Amino acid sequence: MRKLQTLVAAAVAVTLLAGCGGEASPGASGGASSAPAGGSGDTLVVYTNSNGEGRGDWLTQKAGEAGFKIEIVGAGGADATNKLIAEKNNPIADVAFGLNNMYFSQVKAADALEPYEPAWAGEVDTQLADGETYWPLVKQAILLGYNSDKFSRDAAPKDWTDLWTKDEFKARYERVTGLGTATAQLVFAGILSRYRDDSGDLGISDEGWKQVEQYFQNGSPAVAKTDLFARIASGEVDMGQMPSSIIADREKSFKVSVETVIPSVGVPLAVEQIALVKGTKKKEQAQKFIDWFGSADVQGQFAKQFNSMPVNKSAQAQANPEVVDFFADLKQQDIDWEFVQENMGAWVEKIELEYMT
Amino acid sequence: MSGTPVRAMVRSPFVLVVGVVLTWFIAAFLVWPNINVLIATFFPDGSFSGRAAEKLFSSQRAMKALGNSFLLAVALSITVNAVGIFIVLVTYYFRIRGSRILFLGYATTFIYGGIVLAAGYKFIYGDKGIVTSLLLQVFPSMDPAWFSGFFAVLVVMTFATTTNHMLFVANALKGVDYQTIEAAKNLGASTWTILRRIVLPMLKPTLFAVTILSFLTGLGALSAPQVLGGREFQTITPMILTFTNSPTSRDLAALLAVILGLATMVMLAVMSRLEKGGTYFSVSKVSSELQKQDITNPVANAAVHAVAYLLFAVYTLPVLLIVLYSFADGAAIQTGQLSPGSLTLDNYVRVLTQPAGLRPFVVSVVYSALAAVIAVGGLLFVARLLQKYRNWVASVFEYLLHIPWILPSALLALGLIISYDHPNPLVGGAVLTGTTVILLIAFVTVKIPFTLRMLKASFASVNSSLEEAAAIMGAKTLYVFRRILLPLVLPAAAAITALNFNSLLDDYDTAIFLAHPLVQPLGLVIKANTDGAEGTEGIANTFVYTVLLMVITGVTMYLVYGRSGRRRSRKRLPEVPPQGIEAADVPSAAGPAVSGASSKVPAAPAR
Repeated sequence: MRKLQTLVAAAVAVTLLAGCGGEASPGASGGASSAPAGGSGDTLVVYTNSNGEGRGDWLTQKAGEAGFKIEIVGAGGADATNKLIAEKNNPIADVAFGLNNMYFSQVKAADALEPYEPAWAGEVDTQLADGETYWPLVKQAILLGYNSDKFSRDAAPKDWTDLWTKDEFKARYERVTGLGTATAQLVFAGILSRYRDDSGDLGISDEGWKQVEQYFQNGSPAVAKTDLFARIASGEVDMGQMPSSIIADREKSFKVSVETVIPSVGVPLAVEQIALVKGTKKKEQAQKFIDWFGSADVQGQFAKQFNSMPVNKSAQAQANPEVVDFFADLKQQDIDWEFVQENMGAWVEKIELEYMT
Repeated sequence: MSGTPVRAMVRSPFVLVVGVVLTWFIAAFLVWPNINVLIATFFPDGSFSGRAAEKLFSSQRAMKALGNSFLLAVALSITVNAVGIFIVLVTYYFRIRGSRILFLGYATTFIYGGIVLAAGYKFIYGDKGIVTSLLLQVFPSMDPAWFSGFFAVLVVMTFATTTNHMLFVANALKGVDYQTIEAAKNLGASTWTILRRIVLPMLKPTLFAVTILSFLTGLGALSAPQVLGGREFQTITPMILTFTNSPTSRDLAALLAVILGLATMVMLAVMSRLEKGGTYFSVSKVSSELQKQDITNPVANAAVHAVAYLLFAVYTLPVLLIVLYSFADGAAIQTGQLSPGSLTLDNYVRVLTQPAGLRPFVVSVVYSALAAVIAVGGLLFVARLLQKYRNWVASVFEYLLHIPWILPSALLALGLIISYDHPNPLVGGAVLTGTTVILLIAFVTVKIPFTLRMLKASFASVNSSLEEAAAIMGAKTLYVFRRILLPLVLPAAAAITALNFNSLLDDYDTAIFLAHPLVQPLGLVIKANTDGAEGTEGIANTFVYTVLLMVITGVTMYLVYGRSGRRRSRKRLPEVPPQGIEAADVPSAAGPAVSGASSKVPAAPAR
């Protein structure tokens, strides 16, 4: 009996080892980058935080049809940023996309991006990026949304600051429990930017920090793995932060109706970007991929498929008209991104340590 | 068992070989990468500043969260032991009706954990939970949110982390010599006295090891406080994770991690001291297998049965609900509104028909299996030597091997990247980043401390006279190891391998930084499909993946532990009939193996 089981164990071990060899070999050949597969050349490694909800699979397939063999590596925005920076001496990625300007400016500051001007550079508003290493693809508005069954437009808050200054909204809005996500950071960029004071702590006046304090004291803390829309549906809270692209879909799933607030100062925009990774061994192929992915046609298809708002002006014709109209009316908040990027790390730290309760 | 001089130790070639390999491994993969990452963190411009400490100690929130983590760690060390020892005793020591069924219920923690487990408890005891609804009908005035804060977190984590007891304490219990218990009985000792004076002392090395693990689990608590802690009871780990991800605050994360790490080391030192000097194996010349004990007092017997079945319900309900909810849509899961008509296979179809298909599962299974086997295989030798030789060199090695417990896995991964992204003489001039090997190295290293602790405890309960006898008869070191020691620790080793395998299957923190782009493990796919910001499908996918992982880990536990547990190698004697034999009928000496007609397979006597 024991011998039999030893045999079984050995057989399992051998199978596993063989499996490992099988798994490892494509990796090894991919890393060595010697044998071009067919006419399309090597596999491009693409880092992104924008691969969820089928985006990654859609892109891999479309790229394949266009002759690009790509492998998507998905990671959250902060993870992808840290990974790109950590790997800068021996980069594994060829292209990165989906990160917003705050993340890409960190990667650029670490000298891990290669300047490249895509073929479609003339079709986008270069103000939305740095005009050198990373280039804009998709716009996303960071909004305050509220349950429109409970609040009429007149009764709803007019701005973020109303949430903690007016009694009827206190404890009715969801506040974040961590500042790790891009959406949360952008909300604070939008609020703190209004209180810029070079003599204040971290460039923000005392009044500004008081707003942050009030935000945390009066909000209902977010619940892990429970979506804001689920809490709105169950009546726990009535409002909270949300990126524009998710609203339509969640309204349907949770059977709630949500309207958004456009403060008089405007709303912060997150702009997802694309960039060439410095030190890529497939530079030419990677550049072609960027030219292809940012082109009006592909961005248009992407927008149509995923309800996003393309930056590329020629792509907007293909996007969902409702989305285009929404952005056409939208007042963008004037934020000094350079100032925000310099200070965001310190702001997050201060907020996490001092104001989050 | 007093210290062996270092000079005597290095005379053995076996020790030398293991020592050289170990020194290289520790230097290359434990010390060097982590020194690099800590230097980059604390001395970003080449000079040290007290900034991190200053910021942290002046932050009320950080101090409170740190205090909560410590409170939870201490409380868990006590509660997990209480519940863990109880369930081990009712499944293996006392004669309880239906103990096999009870075992299956208690064993559910082997196969799942993390955020879904916390969610499972919330479905039952949360403000919209089943039990809460029932209670509200009886006591309409009670607070629906009664199950939150420290109490809720402690309860959930206590029941979630008895896995180590069910595996290792149970294993040690089976090694207790029944003759000692019989002798005590004949001398008139009560059930309670026997338990306290004979049984529990024999379990000490294992109890110490699992106590350290419980302490560590409490310190590192993440998902249960997030889901159930509410405003009042948040722990430090979420803050560490946020700061790890922000390059400008990484020094705070590292400092917090080092504080927790040092606390763990203090705990380790205390436990090692307590463990020293005891004899944890049977010294009787002819020992026999443990027999199940009756609880003679009828009231006590009824009470123990009641509690045992109550715990069974507590353990089993969340699993049943998770499986049920995995068929519901995401909105229903989050709002807690479940109707029988809304259960479909859609979630499973969506997850299993992705283009990536089963490949990530295969990648993860292979990586986890390799890492688990390498860690246990390598550390068998190391744990043996550390247990046998007790001197300062051994202590230094032992503490160095616990380095992976100190730093969060994201920092370990970053350390490996910055140390091996260029040709490095420590690994023969190879570049490791971008290869498939680096993730395997990381997987092996993160499992070292746990593996070492449990293996060492297991070696501690081996009777050294067996080894001495073999040595006197001329057996070589390796022969003794292979033919005498190995069979005795094999059940524990198999259980450790299985647990390592299970815990690596859905790893994200390490894999995200180190995985080869073409060989991506399951954790990355799960993350892409379950992230909070990705719609209602995300949460449903989380449940589906949890159930799929339950299936894989359940099969693993059955293959590796379930069977080897029954085929456990008895220490010195063939097995006695398993059930229904009165104490007086125990065979007195080395008879032939008598196997019961039931599922027990005859044990292989150790030579």
